[in-house]
Amino acid sequence: MPPLIEYHCGCTSLPTGIPPPPHLASSSFAFHPLHGLYFCEECDAVRCNRCVTVEISGYYCPNCLFEVPSASVRAEKNRCARNCFECPVCTNTLQVVPSDPPEPHSGAPVTISTVGEPPFFLYCNHCRWDSFDAGVTFEKPTGLALQLQKTEDSAPEILEVEKLKDYFEPALKQAQINQQYQQALAAAATGGTTGAAGGPGNVGHSPTTSLNPIHVAASSALSREVPSFKYSGSSRRPGLGPSLAKRGPAPSLGSNVNDIDHPTKDYKPRITAGTGEGLAHDAEIEWVSKLGLPAGEENGGGAISGISFAHKNEIASLEQRLHATQYSWAPTHSLRTVDLKPTRVPLRSKKSKRCPKCTHILIKPELKAQSTKWKIKLVAANYLPSIEVVIPTLGLTNPSVKRTGKEKDATPEDAALANMMLPGKTYPFHLVFSNPLYDPINVRLSVQRSFPPPPTGSTPNTAPLDPSAAVPSRRPPYAISLPTSAFPIAAYAEAWEYEDEEDEEMPDDEELGLNLGIGSRTPGKSGSGRDGKGKAKTVGILERRANVTKVGGEVVIGKDGKGAVKFNMLVTYTYRSDDPAEDKADTSTSGTPASKLGSARKDTNSGSGATDNMKTFSFYTVVDLGMIAPKEMVAKVEKQERRESVQTVGVYN
Amino acid sequence: MAAPQAEPRRPTSMSGAGEARPRQSSSSYVVGNAPQYTATRRHSLYGTEDRIIIDPGSRFWKVGFSGEGKPRQVFLVGSRHVGHAHDEAGGGVSQLWQLEGPKTAEEREEADRMLAARLQDALRSVFFESLMTDPKSRKVIIVEHPLLPLRVKDLLAKILFDNLNIPSLSFASSSLLALIAVGRTSGLVVDSGHLETYALPISSSRPMYPLIKTTPRAGARLTQHLRALILEFGTFHPPFATLAGSANTAPRPTRIPPEILTDAIIEDIKTSCCFVGRVMSQSPSGAPDTMGIDTDMPSPRTEDRMSVDPESQPHTPLRSGPNSGTQTPVRQSQAGSSASWATRYQRDSSAVDFLVPVKPPPPLSGTGRGSIRVPGWVRERAAELLFEAGDVDEASVAEVVLQSLLKTPVDLRKDLISTIVVIGGTAMMPGFIPRLHDEIVRTLTKVTPTASVRSPKRRAYDPYEPLRALVDHVAILNDPSPVPSRARTAGSAPAFAPLCMSWVGGSIAGALKTGGQEILHDKWDEASVVIEEPETPLHGLATRENNFVLPDWTRAPLRVGAPHAGVHPPRQYGVPLDEPITV
Repeated sequence: MPPLIEYHCGCTSLPTGIPPPPHLASSSFAFHPLHGLYFCEECDAVRCNRCVTVEISGYYCPNCLFEVPSASVRAEKNRCARNCFECPVCTNTLQVVPSDPPEPHSGAPVTISTVGEPPFFLYCNHCRWDSFDAGVTFEKPTGLALQLQKTEDSAPEILEVEKLKDYFEPALKQAQINQQYQQALAAAATGGTTGAAGGPGNVGHSPTTSLNPIHVAASSALSREVPSFKYSGSSRRPGLGPSLAKRGPAPSLGSNVNDIDHPTKDYKPRITAGTGEGLAHDAEIEWVSKLGLPAGEENGGGAISGISFAHKNEIASLEQRLHATQYSWAPTHSLRTVDLKPTRVPLRSKKSKRCPKCTHILIKPELKAQSTKWKIKLVAANYLPSIEVVIPTLGLTNPSVKRTGKEKDATPEDAALANMMLPGKTYPFHLVFSNPLYDPINVRLSVQRSFPPPPTGSTPNTAPLDPSAAVPSRRPPYAISLPTSAFPIAAYAEAWEYEDEEDEEMPDDEELGLNLGIGSRTPGKSGSGRDGKGKAKTVGILERRANVTKVGGEVVIGKDGKGAVKFNMLVTYTYRSDDPAEDKADTSTSGTPASKLGSARKDTNSGSGATDNMKTFSFYTVVDLGMIAPKEMVAKVEKQERRESVQTVGVYN
Repeated sequence: MAAPQAEPRRPTSMSGAGEARPRQSSSSYVVGNAPQYTATRRHSLYGTEDRIIIDPGSRFWKVGFSGEGKPRQVFLVGSRHVGHAHDEAGGGVSQLWQLEGPKTAEEREEADRMLAARLQDALRSVFFESLMTDPKSRKVIIVEHPLLPLRVKDLLAKILFDNLNIPSLSFASSSLLALIAVGRTSGLVVDSGHLETYALPISSSRPMYPLIKTTPRAGARLTQHLRALILEFGTFHPPFATLAGSANTAPRPTRIPPEILTDAIIEDIKTSCCFVGRVMSQSPSGAPDTMGIDTDMPSPRTEDRMSVDPESQPHTPLRSGPNSGTQTPVRQSQAGSSASWATRYQRDSSAVDFLVPVKPPPPLSGTGRGSIRVPGWVRERAAELLFEAGDVDEASVAEVVLQSLLKTPVDLRKDLISTIVVIGGTAMMPGFIPRLHDEIVRTLTKVTPTASVRSPKRRAYDPYEPLRALVDHVAILNDPSPVPSRARTAGSAPAFAPLCMSWVGGSIAGALKTGGQEILHDKWDEASVVIEEPETPLHGLATRENNFVLPDWTRAPLRVGAPHAGVHPPRQYGVPLDEPITV
């Protein structure tokens, strides 16, 4: 996996406001790619898809792009009610095809209708499934869903649920009346003095509150409950058995006809489990048990592949069965592929999203199904600098890649190793920042310590991630170096605008960048960097052009390092705000040099920066640099290497 | 907002449909012809809308609207986050919670965060992807498994109220809902899911929670067992190395490399080509004892498997031999535990071998797909794990049913044993329910050996002696192939799939405006307080802590004089436990 960077959304931070340490699994839920994030201007905060409030603003069919009015979505079960069907086997879209035209009889002129011959059926262009075998055919090639409506509406389980509802409803009503009456009685008897009678579980529905008829009526309207559903009702308690329960208040008032627990007649289902649908149960077991290789068959090697896979295809996989269940009228019991029925294409929705705190709209699509534009679009990519991570030396230092050209193909292990870092080595990496704002910004980076909250003020960048104060065994086997001081990124501008400025600006920037770069390096790190790559500078600003600045960092892998190299990086940037309100920047960092630098630069740039409002915004990112090669893998390749005695032994010193 | 209008507008939306339907609806609502139509119509008259029914399992979630006959969607939790490394991070298995939690406090903290994050993702996807509805206007019923961890319940409520802003939430017992789906209010519910199987008696719509009996022999254990069996007895047919070779140069079948047998493939084998055979024909007395030992099957890890496996020789000819059929004599002669096991099952199985196509990993990949040969008896007898006689810790499914019955009052037993309802995903295996019936009957009719030679009249202790008289009344309501019994209730339940039964019950309860105590959003908000967390990292998920106490059977107040069960009383309880509660 290439090195990648993700941005933090505050909704999942630890109580202290810092994101979870990157080695925890839950860290992956707190960080998101930049393109998936929104930015609320009111709250001045990043919002992610896990915290925004979602509203469905329109439904459409992804296949025919019909915009379904929201009134009919519910009744159509979130599925396209026109001609769009999905293959139950492969979920490809199905096509309506006519039957073959009749054989031309002798002499009789064949009249071929323009739409084709009925019956029509659905055909899958991908897996060649057709609905003819599943017993689904149509008289007309249009309005297919309507033609099937009747089948769907009279699906057995729907009728069954209706019947069950009708069976329970009178009894429930009776039970409710009884309960209210009892409560009224009980309340009258005790005079509302039984303090804790309801018990804590009986929130808002204790007998004492329903003293007068108004209360009884209100409670019946508000909370229609069966007494028996409650865990801790005052009169009926679970787990005591009927003999004990009967000793309490009388369970019913006279009419036992509608007593839910002692029905006069049992419920008679329409279709009983015993009769079943599709294949009978025993027959199905028989079918499954006999499906496969016949007992005597000696599969002589290759002969198996063709025939035997067909058996697998006769059984619908769980996925296919569930897909068919989601909405079609296929029997849910059946294992057989032939029992699968085509499903209507599920609708998609256009969603608008709001900030969970201030309910301002963050993103709002145009309602037309064909349109891919937005009416409102506050995406984080327009507010935060985008960052790319590159490890320039990775994939080159490892011998396997060099070897591939001349020798036989690299083993998969070699290929994997080529993208991993080796223990005990130092790797430079580049962070490429690009600024989406129309104002230049100053960026300052710092590495978040893994465990304790970072002490404010000091940002020891080249320190090992985990101080010894934390659990020693958890000490990450790598150290990250980043440029300590702030660096500028020029404003975003249209491509043609850069041409004019280029002459005057570039020398200045070059000088600035160089200074910063050298200043930020700690001697030891730069030395190792030079050793590793023979390059003068690895930590600091490497390149500036247009609105892009490339800075270098460095990671030192410990001798016995293993696992992933991941670290949380706090990015703080300062920009000039047009907004006179000053209170937005809440994160206070030691950014005075940065802001000074920024304003100075702006002065030279525009010449009108006298009354600048400098604002600071900071956000966390997680940088995943990739994996450290496991010891045994390195050893294996190394051994192979030595055996082959290729000239690149020096890499492993 | 839009939802109440949805129902009355429905006729116009399908005006082009059958001409008959609108006319019929205007005159009278004839139940039977277009029942769904009348149903939705009736709802709108009450002015309320359908609720959302969520049946959250540790793996599969069933979600949909009340009043419908099927869940809108049944999905594997966590399977939707394609491209994000969430589930790899979560331990590979897409399973929300396990039976065993992490040991250390820090790990627990982290597991808690993971659970919260995954639950949140799942719930958000239910509303915005599966059902595409606005959570702010929908009441929610959660189908609650009796053994659902309280932490999960708390998190569900927290996310639904705080993140999704639903107006009201209620929890309904999954077993009771399953009974409603079969049109009853009393019965014995057996739920065989992924993590555990339990039996819970319900009388007059009151779940008798203290009488619940449970065993970990369920889907997860079965998967583990099946993997071990396939690794041991299955064969791998690699693909051709090159396309040029003829049929004679086809690669020899080998043992299955463990890395090929991914969780997905095992799951596929389990759900599509396995089934439960009928009771084996052997003498009922001798078999269970030895089989009980064999139940401790090698775990799926290879090293364990190798160490337990007493005979590595029989497999060497397997590598050279053309198929496993010739191996039978070798296994018998070796008489190792797993070998005798294999032959015993093999003798009793009529199923044929089955080939499952697999895509081998790089070192073995040749020209395409290889295949795994699953012996027929493995397909048929893997589920024996669930039915073999168990011990104190892990009873078999049938034993769980009987033990639970033993705890119920005597006058209820007869009714309960003739109204057994079997639900859950593992019960979807073809043959599971009939086999459970047979197994219960077999356990009750088993001839117990005499205790000693000296007193031949004294029998060995039989725990199920009190239930023996009821053997004629054993009946599973949703038995798809019922055996005629005196109870005559076998197979009389509606033909809902066992997996969906609880959900369907929830759908009915939701349509009838019932289903547990409602927790309103206002109440939830009132109870929430802002706790200023001290500067302690890694402790506490968020600053806003809600001390609303969800109703739960484990939190029900104890009777007067009941012994103090735990050291920790439930926190923030309205009434202290010591105080007597007047009924």
